[in-house]
Amino acid sequence: MENKSGNKKLIIGLIALVVVIGAFAIIYNVFRAKPTEGSKSITINVVNSREETTSYSVKTDAEYLRQAMEEAEGLTFSGTESEEYGMMVDTVNGERADYSLDNAYWNFLVNGEYGNYGIDKQPVNDGDEYSIVYTPAE
Amino acid sequence: MQEQRKIKRHVEIRILDLTLMGMMVAVMEVSKLALSFLPNIELVSFWIILFTLFFRWRVLFAIPAFVLVEGLLYGINLWWISYLYAWPLLALAAWLFRRQESVLFWSILSGSFGLLFGMLFAIPYVVIGAAGNGLRSGLYAGFTWWVAGIPYDIAHGIGNFVLMLVLYKPVREAMKRLPGMR
Repeated sequence: MENKSGNKKLIIGLIALVVVIGAFAIIYNVFRAKPTEGSKSITINVVNSREETTSYSVKTDAEYLRQAMEEAEGLTFSGTESEEYGMMVDTVNGERADYSLDNAYWNFLVNGEYGNYGIDKQPVNDGDEYSIVYTPAE
Repeated sequence: MQEQRKIKRHVEIRILDLTLMGMMVAVMEVSKLALSFLPNIELVSFWIILFTLFFRWRVLFAIPAFVLVEGLLYGINLWWISYLYAWPLLALAAWLFRRQESVLFWSILSGSFGLLFGMLFAIPYVVIGAAGNGLRSGLYAGFTWWVAGIPYDIAHGIGNFVLMLVLYKPVREAMKRLPGMR
């Protein structure tokens, strides 16, 4: 009898887990940052290890940051590609900041706040200011 | 003579405990590194649950040691602060339900922990945001950070659930055969 009641509780627990996964998926689809269509004007600042800033003004139809970065004249970048996260940038304008090799990384700020997305998933909105900052590991 | 034996026994237990703690940290680190190519699929949750069930209080020393090693390997950053309470919280949950033997129960617990991992990690973002610009801003910062990671939390939850479902019984049986575990 007790066993049956225990099993029932576990089944309810399993169903609850599935429901929570569904709820999380809905929350993600409703609240995640979404790209906007059409022309946008954005600024991309690169701050190198000597704290010198180079600014790029970009007019773009790009929906995500990576494409906008590719369109910025004079800006070069590369990194390792992964299916899940897209490109993990380790080199900007010829300067490498590979965490394991250089004990530093390129920090991406969106309108002064830490970026929550990789460059392949970071939506671009009109008037956005992106900063790519050489940051030594603490 | 009896006193001497007592001391010897005490010392032996302490050495065994220390060895176990070192082994726990090594197992967690190695399995974490081995699966690091799969995003958010990890065995640390599995091991912390099993270690809590089998080695009890010793896990309270193994977890801080593991967190410290992680900090030394990857640098002490915001995520590291979350490690300080997220893993002990899982151990606490495992200890509270220590009499449970159902594989499905432990799979649900481990899956739920994986699913809520991002939420636990959002707490420092809320605190920092709130300290800078007020609670509303902090909650917004934490919420947007959590939302961005939801796909990874779902993968984490499903991964934890499946790993526990597959590994719980064979590993538990193997651990029961360890000296002093019967």
